[in-house]
Amino acid sequence: MFRFLPEPASEFAPNIDWINNLITDLSVFFTVAIVGAMIYFAIRYRRRDGVDHATPRILGSHTLEAIWTVVPTLVCIFIAYWGIAYYRDMRTVPADAITIDVRGQKWKWDFEYSNGKKTTSELVVPVNKPIKLVISSRDVLHSFFLPSMRVKKDAVPGQYTYLWFRPIKEGVFQAFCTEYCGKDHSAMLAKLHVVSEAEFGRWLNDRSEEALMAKLGPAERGKALFQQKGCNACHSLDGSRLVGPSLMKLVGRTEKLSDGSEQVVDENYIKESILDPNKKVVATFPPNVMPAFAGQLSDEDVDGLIAFIRAQDGSAVAAAPKAEAAVNAANMTPAQKGEHIYRDAAYACFGCHSVDGSKVVGPTFKGVYGRQEKLTDGSSVTVDDAYIKNSILNPGAQIVEGFANMMPPFQGRLNDDDIKNIIEYLKTVK
Amino acid sequence: MSSQCTAGTCNSCHDDDHNYLKYPKGFWSWVTTVDHKRIGLLYLFTILIFFFVAGVFALLVRTELMHAGRDIMDAETYNMFFTLHGAIMIFLFIVPGIPATMGNFLLPLMIGAKDVAFPRLNLMSYYIYVLGAIMALVALIRPIGPEGLQKFLAGLGLIGPVDTGWTFYAPYSLQSGSSVIWMTGAAFVLGFSSILTGLNFVVTVHKLRAPGMSWDRLPVFVWATYATAIIQTLATPVVGITLLLLIMERAMGVGIFNPQLGGDPVLFEHFFWFYSHPVVYIMVLPAFGVVGEIIPVFSRKPIFGYRAVCYASLAIAFIGFLVWAHHMFVAGISDTSAIYFSAATFFVAVPTAVKVFNWVSTMYKGSIRFESPMLYAMGFVFLFMVAGTTGIYLATLAVDVFYHDTYFVVAHFHYTIQGGAVIGLMAALHFWFPKMSDKMYNETLARFAWVLDFVGFNLTFLPQFVLGMEGMPRRYYDYLPQFEPLHQISTVGSYVNAIGYTAALMNLLFAALFSKRKAPSNPYNSLSLEWQTQSPPLHENFKETPVVTDWTYGYGEPVEGGSH
Repeated sequence: MFRFLPEPASEFAPNIDWINNLITDLSVFFTVAIVGAMIYFAIRYRRRDGVDHATPRILGSHTLEAIWTVVPTLVCIFIAYWGIAYYRDMRTVPADAITIDVRGQKWKWDFEYSNGKKTTSELVVPVNKPIKLVISSRDVLHSFFLPSMRVKKDAVPGQYTYLWFRPIKEGVFQAFCTEYCGKDHSAMLAKLHVVSEAEFGRWLNDRSEEALMAKLGPAERGKALFQQKGCNACHSLDGSRLVGPSLMKLVGRTEKLSDGSEQVVDENYIKESILDPNKKVVATFPPNVMPAFAGQLSDEDVDGLIAFIRAQDGSAVAAAPKAEAAVNAANMTPAQKGEHIYRDAAYACFGCHSVDGSKVVGPTFKGVYGRQEKLTDGSSVTVDDAYIKNSILNPGAQIVEGFANMMPPFQGRLNDDDIKNIIEYLKTVK
Repeated sequence: MSSQCTAGTCNSCHDDDHNYLKYPKGFWSWVTTVDHKRIGLLYLFTILIFFFVAGVFALLVRTELMHAGRDIMDAETYNMFFTLHGAIMIFLFIVPGIPATMGNFLLPLMIGAKDVAFPRLNLMSYYIYVLGAIMALVALIRPIGPEGLQKFLAGLGLIGPVDTGWTFYAPYSLQSGSSVIWMTGAAFVLGFSSILTGLNFVVTVHKLRAPGMSWDRLPVFVWATYATAIIQTLATPVVGITLLLLIMERAMGVGIFNPQLGGDPVLFEHFFWFYSHPVVYIMVLPAFGVVGEIIPVFSRKPIFGYRAVCYASLAIAFIGFLVWAHHMFVAGISDTSAIYFSAATFFVAVPTAVKVFNWVSTMYKGSIRFESPMLYAMGFVFLFMVAGTTGIYLATLAVDVFYHDTYFVVAHFHYTIQGGAVIGLMAALHFWFPKMSDKMYNETLARFAWVLDFVGFNLTFLPQFVLGMEGMPRRYYDYLPQFEPLHQISTVGSYVNAIGYTAALMNLLFAALFSKRKAPSNPYNSLSLEWQTQSPPLHENFKETPVVTDWTYGYGEPVEGGSH
């Protein structure tokens, strides 16, 4: 009864489950016995007909009281002993453990292997080998929790902590942050991939992706990020006004800010505006639209973006990405084609519309089809084919309450087939 | 039946114009009163307002958790609401809780005193509480208006509602862009109120017992309140200092907890839990006392094992000081200290278990009636069994590593604090209501509300144990889809629970204000001293100082070996 722990996946997990289940059984037994006795007494000795019956003045019983002092004490000592014994196992790291550095930072987990390989949010380990995680934090308290392995340890700024486990089965397991760390605490997740030793060796020594990135110049890395992160949804490269200021000839420009002051755009201002965009907003642009990228971009990433922005002298206009939806279009379902458009950097729908329910700049697409939306004019509308089509071609006509009118119209950029595919895709986002 | 009141304290000498509700008259006489009974009522109304406010915050939090993803608010707003729910419930409602309301009202009556030892200090405690409450309310404000004004307020530390969690863990609380200084300042000020109340009660119990009211005749509620008062006096200064250090660090950059300034965030956790673990017993010990009073009266039996019940309160208070770091098993403390704190924690389980056994045994061969106070007391026993046994998981070192900071902990402490302290307060309010108000509430509605409370509470928090076992972390705005069904049950349960509390408290409020039904002065035939004077009690409690000749629990027919 009451067995809800995730399937044990580390060597000591079954031990911990054993003592856990023993506590469950004892708890159920004592609760049923004591509450059962209470209910039995309540019924057996209830007052009848509103009149008290004679009761004996029993003051206590030294024998009984001795029993119910000694028995719980012995039970407690037994449980405490095994809790401590298994804890010692959890803290005694085998000498041949593979050490991996884990760094928590608002709101992501970084992992670094001894050969210098780095990953974010993805921890890969070999099965049946002891794994030691050395945990630290770059900002506030976090806590690294692997439920299937039965381990958890806080990431404490200014201190290194550790945990270890020996995974006993291959698979993908969930990791959580369990120490509250601010806004996106609940999104500070990671995956643990337990793979065969051979696969782990191959993976660990495959540095091609990093090599590729390393080979790119900073401006090329910035260009890749500019599309990956959906920046292009709001910032044009050709001087046209979208949701945010255009990046053409940005460096050296003097911008008027919303508080009336003037700001010469230099590398420091660009960096600040990427990491903490609402601090200094350019006049006539709405505040609180751009998400803060603090914690999501490394210093190298920011360097890359700055190099890319510096290179925007207007000559890139022709290089603006064109629709590529035709690729592979033949063998895709309409919904897949729609998703392709959603993810296509040329349109960057994902820059403003999430599919996981979170509120970004525009309404989330999660469950959007068929949803009732309240509009800014007070009326309501059911999201159907006609509304979606109209909202893509002429977004300013019917704005959902709580959102601003800032989406560019796609009239002429998407044809009827594209829109049909998008609608099919939206039906699948639940 | 009772041989404890001799002259001048019997029911026949009713003096209605001189009861504490009517004498002296006027609004001013209430806000400047030094009468412990009136101060108890002032506390009661004030803390119930905060119970309501923090309860609404809890419902908003639960509503947001109805579905994965966004329901009604964004992550930052959610973080703010769960913080305010916790901070207000803890510092403004449940820490003053039973001691400041029922303790103030009952303690002098139960020991046959005219008032507490320092009546003016008692009033001052209340106003210090009000000051702290105002500071906490200020900390809820999000400044709006012209920029100059906002800058000025920011200079005073007023930035926006706190989002740190009620635990204020550094270094997040040092960086958070919210009014942390005001909220921790509020908790600091509220601490003084708590310390002074505790001090007052300790001296009262030592010095003002009526003739014949020896220590081994004291009601178990007085023992429990006394043990509570000791914790209030000794533990609260530590959190006061801690929060002051946090404020200094935020305002002036003194490096105590921030590692970048050479501080240590784990030190904050030590300081914080050195108070905040004993504070759990400040909340729940008085509830033990309430249940220890109600079960004998409604069973017509003396409390079983009186001495063990009383000494268990003291033992819990004492051991409660030695176990704080069991909140920190995975926080980066040394393994040796983790082992010590786990072992020590198990020793709290023993006196707690003794109390439960004694309450249930008191009902053996009783003559048991089931009015609402008894229903709450019996509900308390079940809820506290669940709270206690789930505490064993968390004391067990290797197992706590899994449960720490999951929903299992959330469910455990709600069983302890809501199932224990709040249900204890509800039991006390229903039991002593006729004494406090001279009126009788609608018993049918009270029982109906009890059913809603009990069912709603379990519906809310039993699923959270399962969520915790499945690995769901606490303080999560969003969650993985597999957790959704249990969250939905929990949210529905919280609505039922809220309706239950509202119905129960409205029933009492309407009876107090509008009911014409005068309560008998001792409706449940209790033998303890507060029921031997008139209802509502006289301004000075007793016409003449009572002389106590027997202990409080002389119920039933004497049997062999049955003398106290």
